[in-house]
Amino acid sequence: MTTTPLIGVSKSILKIKELIHHVANTCLNVLITGATGVGKEVVAQNLYAESARSTQNFVKINCAALPETLLESELYGYEKGAFTGAHKKRPGKFQTADKGVLFLDEIGDMPMALQSKMLHVLQSGEFSPLGSDQEYKTDVWVIAATNHNLEESMKQKMFREDLFYRLNIIKIDIPPLRKRKEDIPSLIEYYFRLYKSEYPDNQGTRPDSDILTKLCNYSWPGNVRQLQNCIKKQMILNSWEKIFEELTQEHPEIAPPILKENQQNGTQVYINQEFSNARTSIISEFVDLSTSSDKLFEDLSLKKIKKMASDKVEKEVIAFVLEKVGWNRSRASKILKISYKTLLYKMNEFKVLPPA
Amino acid sequence: MDSPNKLLIVDDNEDILSTFYEFFNSLGYEVKTARDGFAALKLLKNKSIFFDCLITDLVMPNISGVGLISIAKKEYPHLKIIAMTGYGGQPGALASEAKADFVFFKPVDLLKIENKVSELINQKNDKQ
Ligand SMILES: Nc1ncnc2c1ncn2[C@@H]1O[C@H](COP(=O)(O)OP(=O)(O)OP(=O)(O)O)[C@@H](O)[C@H]1O
Ligand SMILES: [Mg+2]
Repeated sequence: MTTTPLIGVSKSILKIKELIHHVANTCLNVLITGATGVGKEVVAQNLYAESARSTQNFVKINCAALPETLLESELYGYEKGAFTGAHKKRPGKFQTADKGVLFLDEIGDMPMALQSKMLHVLQSGEFSPLGSDQEYKTDVWVIAATNHNLEESMKQKMFREDLFYRLNIIKIDIPPLRKRKEDIPSLIEYYFRLYKSEYPDNQGTRPDSDILTKLCNYSWPGNVRQLQNCIKKQMILNSWEKIFEELTQEHPEIAPPILKENQQNGTQVYINQEFSNARTSIISEFVDLSTSSDKLFEDLSLKKIKKMASDKVEKEVIAFVLEKVGWNRSRASKILKISYKTLLYKMNEFKVLPPA
Repeated sequence: MDSPNKLLIVDDNEDILSTFYEFFNSLGYEVKTARDGFAALKLLKNKSIFFDCLITDLVMPNISGVGLISIAKKEYPHLKIIAMTGYGGQPGALASEAKADFVFFKPVDLLKIENKVSELINQKNDKQ
């Protein structure tokens, strides 16, 4: 694995670097949090690279990408014959990562049942592969990452408190890129040079100071990953103007409050207007924005809105799937991974009816 | 007179920090404070002060109290450590697992903590 250096000059990045340096050899469980693309995996790699375990394996598993049973067998491995299809014994990630690092990516998406098992393994330092009674000792350094707010997930009973506290021994929170604009020029410089050296013939240029200012003031909802993609694209298009134009069209729903601070020029004000229109149109699907704000705020509860929004999407998805399978409810329930009973209940609740 | 006992107090709550500071200071302790585990670790590593006792909150950003206790017990085995938490049993249990000498649950009684501190420091001095 090649380690990406943690580029940045902001106070938060410098502090994270210093923290990495201080904890890399403690083997204490680490929880890395932050929005998508902020660099959680980069931080995990740097922790590993600075630790004495860097000569051993760095094993990553994405807890969001696999269905529950597969995730379980990936983590713990299985014996021959543990389930249909287990033709031969297979080691799990806990075994491959022994003496090294186990990076549990997207831990916030781990199903509850597996959270209990994970807690048990972290407490006891032992695990047994599926279909085996034997307990194996494990010596892994666990680094977990998530873009969920786990405090919120705990309140909703989606994440176990005891597991949270056990992982949260060292907590590294990476702020979104818009909160550390100072990092943008150095990130651009780093990736510019990287892509130049990879493709020496490309036409890409560095942004001039005007564009750079614009790039620094953009909100970057996709954070460093999005910035990196822009630089890559620029190498081919060789037009920062075009790149910036695309940016502001791609994510019109994000109203960067930063723009308000420097509304010197007309286009920015106009863009800003568009953002807030998109926002109000989403909100108005669920609440009546024409009422007075007192009345409005009385009706406005995130919980209520969440329910309305998810009901709305669920209803459409259920209708979509039912239409695709010719209203075969038992097939639809399998595709949707809910019980037949739940499907009937939801069809009734959302008034999803077959065409007469 | 003997040199005063040296305390390091760690909490991310400013009010608690200043209350503890005033209280222990008035009793003649030499007190330093830190707002999270990382700041505390730096104070411990900076060898200009040898602390007798560490009093730390548990749930804090960057290095948690549990992390601080684990690191400190390994690197400074003679340091006495008291944990305090307002988050119920789980962090408390982890602090004991990390070998804190004592765990208090918030709200805490300063006099009781002071009793514990002097008891632990005396234990330590008896041994030496
Ligand atoms: N500080 C940084 N310095 C250099 N490259 C960075 C930095 N932060 C992020 N990157 C790059 O940005 C991309 C996204 O980073 P990474 O995969 O670590 O994000 P993440 O937080 O894990 O995102 P996700 O939540 O989507 O998994 C990667 O290509 C990474 O190399
Ligand atoms: Mg990631």
